[in-house]
Amino acid sequence: MTIEPVLSVEGLNVWFDGDVSPAHVVRDVSFEVRPGEILAIVGESGCGKSVTAMTLLGLTRSSNARFSGTVRFGEHELLSLSEPELRAVRGAGISMVFQDPLTSLNPVMTVGAQIEEMLRLHLPISRSTARRRAVEMLETVGIADADRRARQFPHEFSGGMRQRAMIAMAMSCNPPVLIADEPTTALDVTIQAQILELITSLAHDRGSAVILITHDLGVVAETADVVAVMYAGEIVELATRDDLFSAPQHPYTWGLLASIPRVDQPRTDRLPSIEGQPPSPSAVLSGCGFRDRCAFAFEACAAHPLLEERSSNRHLDRCQLPVSGREEQRRAIYP
Amino acid sequence: MTGNQFVRRLTAVLVVVWGAATVVFIVLRVVPGSAVDQISGLYGTAEQRVETRRQLGLDHSIFYQYWLYLKGALRFDFGRSFYSGRPVTDILVDTMPVTIELAIAAGLIMLTWGILAGSTAAVFRNTKVDVGLRGLAAVFFSIPWFFSGVLLLILFTSVWKVLPGFGRLPPTMTYEPTTHFVLLDAVIQGRPELVWPWLSHILLPAAAIGLTTGGYIARITRASFLEVTSQDYIRTARSKGMTRRQLFRVHVSRNAALPIVAVAGLQVGALLGGAVVAEVVFSYPGVGKLMVDAINRRDYPVVQGAAFVVAMCYVLVNVATESSYPWLDPRLRR
Repeated sequence: MTIEPVLSVEGLNVWFDGDVSPAHVVRDVSFEVRPGEILAIVGESGCGKSVTAMTLLGLTRSSNARFSGTVRFGEHELLSLSEPELRAVRGAGISMVFQDPLTSLNPVMTVGAQIEEMLRLHLPISRSTARRRAVEMLETVGIADADRRARQFPHEFSGGMRQRAMIAMAMSCNPPVLIADEPTTALDVTIQAQILELITSLAHDRGSAVILITHDLGVVAETADVVAVMYAGEIVELATRDDLFSAPQHPYTWGLLASIPRVDQPRTDRLPSIEGQPPSPSAVLSGCGFRDRCAFAFEACAAHPLLEERSSNRHLDRCQLPVSGREEQRRAIYP
Repeated sequence: MTGNQFVRRLTAVLVVVWGAATVVFIVLRVVPGSAVDQISGLYGTAEQRVETRRQLGLDHSIFYQYWLYLKGALRFDFGRSFYSGRPVTDILVDTMPVTIELAIAAGLIMLTWGILAGSTAAVFRNTKVDVGLRGLAAVFFSIPWFFSGVLLLILFTSVWKVLPGFGRLPPTMTYEPTTHFVLLDAVIQGRPELVWPWLSHILLPAAAIGLTTGGYIARITRASFLEVTSQDYIRTARSKGMTRRQLFRVHVSRNAALPIVAVAGLQVGALLGGAVVAEVVFSYPGVGKLMVDAINRRDYPVVQGAAFVVAMCYVLVNVATESSYPWLDPRLRR
């Protein structure tokens, strides 16, 4: 039995017009998420993961932005919705948690008021009901003394509590999809695990799909069901978490995995790194975007690869290397 | 505000007002010409001049005069005018409310047009509307008050002949001040017929000051709005599904208010300075015109008293502005 995806993205492209040439920031991105599923989008800074997420909600719309592709959410096609139609989806259908909870909360409004605002934007409820629901949400995300806390301002909260409040706000209208954009990056390591645990358990209880954007493979290993690895605006590998970690297919993924320090292996002087820089978003890509930095690049890489099932069922990648030799090639440079 | 902060602010007020009073006292005695020349005239004999000096109290040493000035100022007693012989305090009670009225009217014009223009420019950033409003603000802010005053005077009183150009009320109108604030008195005395003549007289001088100083408020408002709209919490609010209107009303305006209030508080100095110029241009019987006339006649007690009170007003407004910051921004509360 298959569950229908709640959100499916098909061939999404985003360009930002610049002074010289347009920047092609998101290139042919396709993925889908199902209720209760956690999809992680991993990649380095500037690979287009945040732009992808913001585009789903129309937050990147501006006079110098162009889009193509489809984003299907229920019966809506989000890219073609008007602003007023999109506003109904924002918050209630798809909501977002951002990276830095201190700057992402309005400093002059109480935390409670900011949650109430979300509720009253989308639900026909009175102020007092909204107030009660806001306090309940704060309790749900594990904030003690929620009634008093709701009347406090963001600067009176600790970093972890602020992110809990952000999550309370994002989940207050029970959105089918939650996008968490680097939700733990600005937090202490000790708090990170709690926040991830909170996001996953809330999503699980309420049947919400989660798109988790991160550059931290440790976070991915702990939480994700499915992983999309992005590089230079493209998804270069898409697989279930277990497949990705046990049998990574794309050389870029190999490099990412190898650059995580591991306690179960002898310490080396230097962690392996991927030499070079990703291509500029304004460059026109011919062939594989990674080939300049790839140790295994060969003639076929001059042709642009598609994201296809190459190695196994439901494990997609964009690498032209023959599947049979990949494992050996990987071990050759990342023992 | 803690007790400690209160003491610190009060000290600052006293120091600033004392400084202003001292500077005025010294400058009056350094500039050439004296009240004695004015009163005795060119042909006064030496004996007459000595007698005049004695009558005015200018025969005392400068330190004793200074001592008397400060001692009197503590009780708001600045002596008597050299010319009319009226106590300076009485004169100030008559004229200070006139200037306060004018400064408030000018302030309202400044804030209304400044904030409207600045926020509109921010909303329509980089469009023709924005460029036009920014240009207008820059031009207005660059116009000196005497010029804006004379320009308005010419346009409205002699070209279009729609507004009166001189005084505070028509000379034919009787007005017995209770509080010296016309609007208040109109209510207290039940004389609504006072309101329009008063308003028509105050409009031009207030606009001459308010429109020019408002240019600066417009610039600050635009910058402040743009700064706030680029903040992360505005993105959060958008992701919640708010309309642009709600966004500006709830999230942008409150965060943008602090720098605007800070600058508006400092602009009160400009409003008072502008009032001096506008009162002269429009023969408006306020403390500014009083001071200019008194300076010309070297009427020391009047200048000293007026300067003291005006400095005090300026400092008090700034203290009030500063005290409003914690109310606007909860992060400043303790």
